[in-house]
Amino acid sequence: MRLTLSTLAFVVLAGAAAAQHQHHGDAKDAFTATPAFAPDGTLWVARGMADRVLVAKSTDLGKTFSAPVSVTADPISIDWGPDSRPQLALDRTGALVVTYAIFQDKRFNGRVYATRSTDGGASFAPPVPVTPESTSQRFQTVGVDPDGRVFAAWLDKRNAAATIAAGKPYPGAALAYAWADERGGFSDTKLAFDNTCECCRLGLAFAGPGRPAIIFRNVFAGSVRDHAVVTFANPTTPGPLRRVSVDDWKIEACPHHGPSLAIAPDGSYHAAWFTGGAARQGLFYARADNADAPFGAPRALSAPDRQPARPYVLATANAVHLVWKEFDGEKALVRWEVSQDGGRHWSEPRTVAETADASDHPLLIARGAQVFLSWLTKNEGYRLIAIGEST
Amino acid sequence: MRRSIVIVLALITLGLSAVAILRAAHADPMPFERGSWSKLAARHAGQPTIIHFWGVTCAPCLVEMPHWGKLMAERPDMRLVLVAADPLPQPVEQVNGALQRAGLDRAENWAFADRFNERLRYEIDPGWSGELPRTVLVAADGNRTVLPGVADLSTVRKWLDAQPRVHN
Repeated sequence: MRLTLSTLAFVVLAGAAAAQHQHHGDAKDAFTATPAFAPDGTLWVARGMADRVLVAKSTDLGKTFSAPVSVTADPISIDWGPDSRPQLALDRTGALVVTYAIFQDKRFNGRVYATRSTDGGASFAPPVPVTPESTSQRFQTVGVDPDGRVFAAWLDKRNAAATIAAGKPYPGAALAYAWADERGGFSDTKLAFDNTCECCRLGLAFAGPGRPAIIFRNVFAGSVRDHAVVTFANPTTPGPLRRVSVDDWKIEACPHHGPSLAIAPDGSYHAAWFTGGAARQGLFYARADNADAPFGAPRALSAPDRQPARPYVLATANAVHLVWKEFDGEKALVRWEVSQDGGRHWSEPRTVAETADASDHPLLIARGAQVFLSWLTKNEGYRLIAIGEST
Repeated sequence: MRRSIVIVLALITLGLSAVAILRAAHADPMPFERGSWSKLAARHAGQPTIIHFWGVTCAPCLVEMPHWGKLMAERPDMRLVLVAADPLPQPVEQVNGALQRAGLDRAENWAFADRFNERLRYEIDPGWSGELPRTVLVAADGNRTVLPGVADLSTVRKWLDAQPRVHN
């Protein structure tokens, strides 16, 4: 077997991450990998490390990687929250946009930064905060709409800080968003909703050009933290809040466990989420016919005593794919289901990858009709695994 | 004479450092790893025991902890075990700081020390998805009562009063 220099670079990267987790005190280091495909088929991966974000590319579907490049010159105090990860996207000019969050203090107040590379990932501009507002931002997600415009959403505490300072209660945070400007910045920030849950990841899909759709854990009356979807009518008009299901999870804490959303070409919505509500507990999937229709009855995924977690949904031109992580008593498994009819019927779940130690959340990514599982595990390192080839 | 002073001084120094080491060992939580749950259960088998799961990164836990500290002072007979179960293990000094502020640093303390928390949780209770805080009341016969979320301490007091006295 011939080891190329680039393979070595990524192996070293993975080894360094593994070594950090052998020490008790370092165990909270970020350990994430977020992928994106360029139009030419190059795979880009952003790695959340102990004190920096590294970006590397692969032209052979993850077998070998280029030498990783840090997006910052200096170490950062990276947000290591279990549902936090750097994000990356390629805009219509081919520029690589990377966002990440840091902790600005010991009370988990965050700050979201964005940077971009216009030289094919060789170098990155000095990162700038996505908003001059400095209270707290976390859980940024980034996506590219069908016209190639980059959109970012995150959880923002500016209203919480102001309201609490005025002596009034403010549960959670606000859902904030911005479109990237000509220079790749996100200066024009707007708030879509107040009182979202403050530490769960967001799910992002597009209902059309300029029409993002976001799924998030909301704080409903009585501190009920159930899920909702908002679909934008146009780039700056968030539509109404549509509740995904009434799970009735009354909890005065944050579950650190966010949802996932996909929109199929037929306009149908596909949501997957975790809840510990009075009405149901575990991992669930539901579909809606379109952007306005109510979501159908939730369907349970796996069984609660297998710890089903971290769902991810992805729609391609002709199928909807769903993965999640579960635990069989020895190993963490990634389970996969596919629907060929817009989410009405699904295949039996199948295990597509497994590991016997710690792992990042499983993510799905498509290149044309081919879907891949993107998964970083402590034992195996980063893997890009083609799935669904036989269906 | 001079020699014996040196020896005495050396012994005192040794003794002091031994005390320091013992104190440090006492203050640091025991690492909760794969297999720790069965060790913990064996240690307290046959004794009514309260196991409280909390986390440095769990805001409601930090509000609740001093109440457990008060209960411990009020009921010195209570077997209380605390497990810091942050989804990502936290630095030991932060765990210690939170325990000290709550007056719980002298309780039996453990802290998750493995990032493969699926496995740790599965050993404790396969149906537990990791929400904190969480309290498990284990009766002398091993019968478990789970109190998810912030515990109502009047429920805990009633449970304690209902337990038969077992002597070590």
